[in-house]
Amino acid sequence: MFNLIKKDLIILKVQLLLFIPFIVFFAVFATHLSPAFIFLLASIFIPINAYIYDEQAETNILLNSLPYTRQEIVAARYIGAIAYMILSIGVAGIILYLCNYGYTIRDIVIAVGLFFVFSALSFPLFYILKPGYIGLAVFVSFIVLAVVLPPIVQFLAENLTTITNFLTNLSAFTLYLSGATIAIGLYLLSWIFSRTIYLRKDF
Amino acid sequence: MENVLEFKGVSKRFKDFSVENINLQIKQGYVTGFIGANGAGKSTTMKLMMNLLRADAGKIKVFGLDYAKHEKKIKERLGFVYDSNVFYEGLNLKDVRRIIAPAYKNWSNKQFYEFIEKFELPLNKAIKTFSKGMQMKASLAIALSHDAELILMDEPTAGLDPVFRRELLDILQEIMEEGKRTLFFSTHITSDLNRIADYIAFIQKGKVLFNDPIYEVQERYALVKGSKDLINRDTEKSFIKVEHSSTGFQALTDDIDKVKELFGDSVVIDEASLEDIMFYVKGASH
Repeated sequence: MFNLIKKDLIILKVQLLLFIPFIVFFAVFATHLSPAFIFLLASIFIPINAYIYDEQAETNILLNSLPYTRQEIVAARYIGAIAYMILSIGVAGIILYLCNYGYTIRDIVIAVGLFFVFSALSFPLFYILKPGYIGLAVFVSFIVLAVVLPPIVQFLAENLTTITNFLTNLSAFTLYLSGATIAIGLYLLSWIFSRTIYLRKDF
Repeated sequence: MENVLEFKGVSKRFKDFSVENINLQIKQGYVTGFIGANGAGKSTTMKLMMNLLRADAGKIKVFGLDYAKHEKKIKERLGFVYDSNVFYEGLNLKDVRRIIAPAYKNWSNKQFYEFIEKFELPLNKAIKTFSKGMQMKASLAIALSHDAELILMDEPTAGLDPVFRRELLDILQEIMEEGKRTLFFSTHITSDLNRIADYIAFIQKGKVLFNDPIYEVQERYALVKGSKDLINRDTEKSFIKVEHSSTGFQALTDDIDKVKELFGDSVVIDEASLEDIMFYVKGASH
């Protein structure tokens, strides 16, 4: 399983070289962006690129011909994504610090939460959709979400006072705890869902 | 004699195609050639063997083991050579090795580099620059580096030039010499098989028609030629398929004794090549 996770680093050699300039670019030019957004981008960079790279090649045939079980192949994705998320956020944190781009732990926590939600929603697409369209679908939906979500949240916050009252009445701790539970819960559900699909798949 | 692979009543249905009730055994230590026209179900059968497809019905056992329980154990001992490139195109062989080697318990780097040298493969060039022949050799080198006991090859000689085809057949013959390896390969170029196959399995429209030693197949079938007036509704029954021409007929039979009894010396009986068998059986009505 560890080998399957390590494999992503080998196939993404070129993309990994772009990772640091990618973060530096945001740190220097996108000063109005929330640092949480940059952390989110950094965290999904490797997992999504690995998926996109793999669906171009006949990777499913290769991996399933090697001594791996289908459960392991899916598990490597979901566990690997967390490992790469942690690493990437660490690296991004260092780069942002060096670039004097201010951020707090809160930004990282929000980014990690969003990472789980975004991954939980996008990973299964790679098992359901036909190859070739998924990368595009994920990319477009990510941009759309990034543009549409903040205004919606703002609208809800302004108009649905019951919800905001409820949320503000919660302590920060409960808020984070329930957020984390929901995010990780979604991720686990997504994993089970992807696994079920992958087990039945014909290549 | 032991079977390394066994299909019992295996069926797999797709929307527009199916393989039905396949019974097949691959004998250990021999080369089995798997022949059939394009679309007869060769690739589907191979994918069922690799567990890339799940059978709708029937039992598949490899090395006497079940995929449901022993998938990894089976694949440790299986080698594969597909007709299309399944390795990452953008990577070179060095990186492909770094991905594949750790997957196998009994991988030998020493053997890998020996075969790379022997097959004259470049280590630092991207796989996508490889010719079809080089891709075949690369797959074979990988299969041999983890000492696969059973090597499944899907159309390994298709699209290769004649010189290279011979070279590949020589290599295959060589790796069979130790006697413990088993080779199963599908092809529609039947002349390859005369050289190296011990057994022939023939698939037609999703059904395995026979799976027998090559000499038995060659003894059983014959090509019969004669003049037109010998053929009528009754005599036609002793043939699998009759081809008519303006001057005579040519037909395939699997009942040579009966043909001899019926026609005596008035017909010419020739040995049927595998290609003849494939051609006539394809057009047969029964």
